[in-house]
Amino acid sequence: MTRLDATRLIVGLAGDAAIIASLGHPAYDLFAAGDRPRNFYTWGSMGVATSIGLGLALARPNILVIVLDGDGSLLMNLGSLATIGLQQPANLVIVVMDNEQYATTGGQETPTAHGADLAAAARAMRIASAVTVRSEAELTAALAALQGPRVIVAKVEESAPVAKPSLDYVGVKQRFMAALGNAQSSILNPP
Amino acid sequence: MSPVFQPSTLSPAWATGICAGVRATGSRDVVYVPDNPLSHVLRVFESDYRDVRLILATREEEAFGIAAGLYLGGRTPTVMCQSSGIGNSLNAITSLLVPYQIPVLVVVSWRGDDVGEWNAAQRPMGQAIRSMFDAIGVAHATIASADAALETVRRMGETAFRTHTLGACLLPRALTTRATAAATPSAS
Repeated sequence: MTRLDATRLIVGLAGDAAIIASLGHPAYDLFAAGDRPRNFYTWGSMGVATSIGLGLALARPNILVIVLDGDGSLLMNLGSLATIGLQQPANLVIVVMDNEQYATTGGQETPTAHGADLAAAARAMRIASAVTVRSEAELTAALAALQGPRVIVAKVEESAPVAKPSLDYVGVKQRFMAALGNAQSSILNPP
Repeated sequence: MSPVFQPSTLSPAWATGICAGVRATGSRDVVYVPDNPLSHVLRVFESDYRDVRLILATREEEAFGIAAGLYLGGRTPTVMCQSSGIGNSLNAITSLLVPYQIPVLVVVSWRGDDVGEWNAAQRPMGQAIRSMFDAIGVAHATIASADAALETVRRMGETAFRTHTLGACLLPRALTTRATAAATPSAS
């Protein structure tokens, strides 16, 4: 299973879920797998995608929020797992595209290449539904079966990105908010 | 702009003013990493503003990420942290909140300004924080007195949420230590 395979599978099952992608290859693959208004692509803030997803999940408990994170990115912000374990948002799914390397920067190994176990870390932080999957069948089953906040560590092969999303950050944000029913003007009424 | 609930009379006036100001902006979500003065603010929120959701973060950069997600979901978020924590947050601020024009009201418990700081670990960031905010285009104002707290926070929230920027209110120790009469140095 390549990262693009996994991303295509997730987008195909996502329905009207909101999807937040970490910078670099996860964001490129989300765009390649299917650009949609409910996609939010980050181009910076490495490590923060999962936190953005948590905030959105807390703001909108009736929307399923999927985060496409990376192993290197999540390792920058492992504390976010403790915060998710504390908040227990049932509508949040973190998919860690674990290629065991910093692929966007040239393929340097991350600690997961040497056994660091991100699903175990999530369980230790009180995210009970945290698993590692190694095939599309396992990924599909995990997405369907798990309840509560979920961390799915998808062991993926690196695949060269084939497309990149827009650099119009404000445009991406406005399209995303409008798709969720939060056009900016609606929250700018005088207090 | 009077608060719906009667503020607790035991709380310092600057803390009740900050809470009333946050609420007057329409913000109902406060993401925070605690420090000593902010503990008073948190207590007022907990006792007098039950409709304000308090969200603990493990690190300040995470708090700004959570706030960004709250905003994308239609909320008007506030982040509260110590000035030292702004240093932990610069990448999220400059590579997420600023380029995507995601507004957040920020209440910064400000250590390390000129008066009375005894901890050399706090002075460099405390001295630099206003210049840093200027350098990255973050609006900021100092809460000059307990009486000014509500209006400073409320108006900064207006600037933040109407112009899609970060708006930071600096809460100096000169104000909080006088009000709380802290007799002994505290690490945090």
